[in-house]
Amino acid sequence: MIRNLIFALLILTGAGFLSSCAGNSENKNAEQEDELALPDSLTGEAPLKLSEEIIGDVIQNISSPVEMANLIKSTGVDFSQQILNNPENISNYSTSFKRALNLGVFSAGLGYINSYDKSNIVVSYLLAVKNLADGIRVGQFFDFESLKRMASNSSNLDSLMQMSVSSFNQMDSYLRQQNRSNVSALVITGAWVEGLYIASSVIEKTNDEELINRLGEQKEIVDILYIILQNYEQNSSFKMLIDHLSELKTLYKEVKITKEVGEPKTIEQDGMLIIVQAEASHVEISPETLGTIIEKIKEIRADVVE
Amino acid sequence: MRKLIFTLLLLVGVGFSGAYAQCNHEALLKDALTQMGDGQYIKDFIVDLKNEKNGGESGTVKYSVILNSRSQYKFNVVNGAGNSEKVHMQLYDGDKLLVSNKAQGKMYSAFGFVCRSTKVYSLVFSFPEGSEGCARAVLSLQRQFAAGEGGF
Repeated sequence: MIRNLIFALLILTGAGFLSSCAGNSENKNAEQEDELALPDSLTGEAPLKLSEEIIGDVIQNISSPVEMANLIKSTGVDFSQQILNNPENISNYSTSFKRALNLGVFSAGLGYINSYDKSNIVVSYLLAVKNLADGIRVGQFFDFESLKRMASNSSNLDSLMQMSVSSFNQMDSYLRQQNRSNVSALVITGAWVEGLYIASSVIEKTNDEELINRLGEQKEIVDILYIILQNYEQNSSFKMLIDHLSELKTLYKEVKITKEVGEPKTIEQDGMLIIVQAEASHVEISPETLGTIIEKIKEIRADVVE
Repeated sequence: MRKLIFTLLLLVGVGFSGAYAQCNHEALLKDALTQMGDGQYIKDFIVDLKNEKNGGESGTVKYSVILNSRSQYKFNVVNGAGNSEKVHMQLYDGDKLLVSNKAQGKMYSAFGFVCRSTKVYSLVFSFPEGSEGCARAVLSLQRQFAAGEGGF
């Protein structure tokens, strides 16, 4: 009886070994696609130029969906769902790379939807976020049922946004703790690109000075993001993104940012001390440069969401 | 044997309850969000400084934050119930101190910052005289200034 059992086990083990060998080459692509699910150190993409700590430190709030969305709403332009990525597109994102990037894209979309109080469409975007997060094994940070309950009442939209942003922050910390800052970098890049894409679409309609300034100020951010992404240049998918950012960086060289140093001011408001920064920066960007930067942002975004 | 297991369980139980009594980060975050006021939540920061990690000194914890020009932010912090000293929160631009929650010898629970230059800033937390403790801070956006408003 025991002999038969051992024999059967040996056959099964052998068959398993053979099938795993046979399937090795077929699975190679799938493994490459899923390698973002592994810590950087296991994928041969351990950051060389920046440590996990430094990357994590820098990328924590590179793109706040709240800030950009507020600025867009203040232009007075109407909400346009057509600007946003369609939640139905998530079925096209079969790799961890695409899922992480578009998780960022949808987070920026959520910020935009929230700032316009569009509770009627927010659930489908939350569901897209949840599905993409599940796809890169960080779905545990998004309590979809609670978020959905909050979304059903438009007066809860601020709390909903707070909870969503907090979930993103927790997810980001977790990814960095797990040495998966490559995934974190992609989420942040996706959110940043989408924020700029929405802002660019609004600039084209309104020529709003505030938004143009904000777009110009991204000269500082594009440099940081470029350095972070360069840590993963061995990955061919990252290479595409790095090349895009390199071209954007070149275009941003035409943007002039001047610093003016004054005296800091202290004011008291509702019993709280507020410091007004002494240094002030001014952005100079010509219409031609603005146009080329906007075109490049559109091109990058098209590649991200395709 | 039973006594040994009981003692171990007791020790583990006491250890856990002590740790949680000292610092319940979830409750601290809830308090910090309440104290945030009308602003919009951007990010929160965990402060957990222990002496044993730094040979008797609790040291500092530093976070990088990107703040945008023409924006008014609020940084508010809530101290752990077991803290012997209140947490010191400072905002730096490189190595230049911009603002601190300590003024005239008093530790405040919040400060505001009107940013006029978009870049990476550092938020640094520490406890006076190297004491240990925990805290939770929240960064919120209070206001965005339009051109010509608030001196912009």
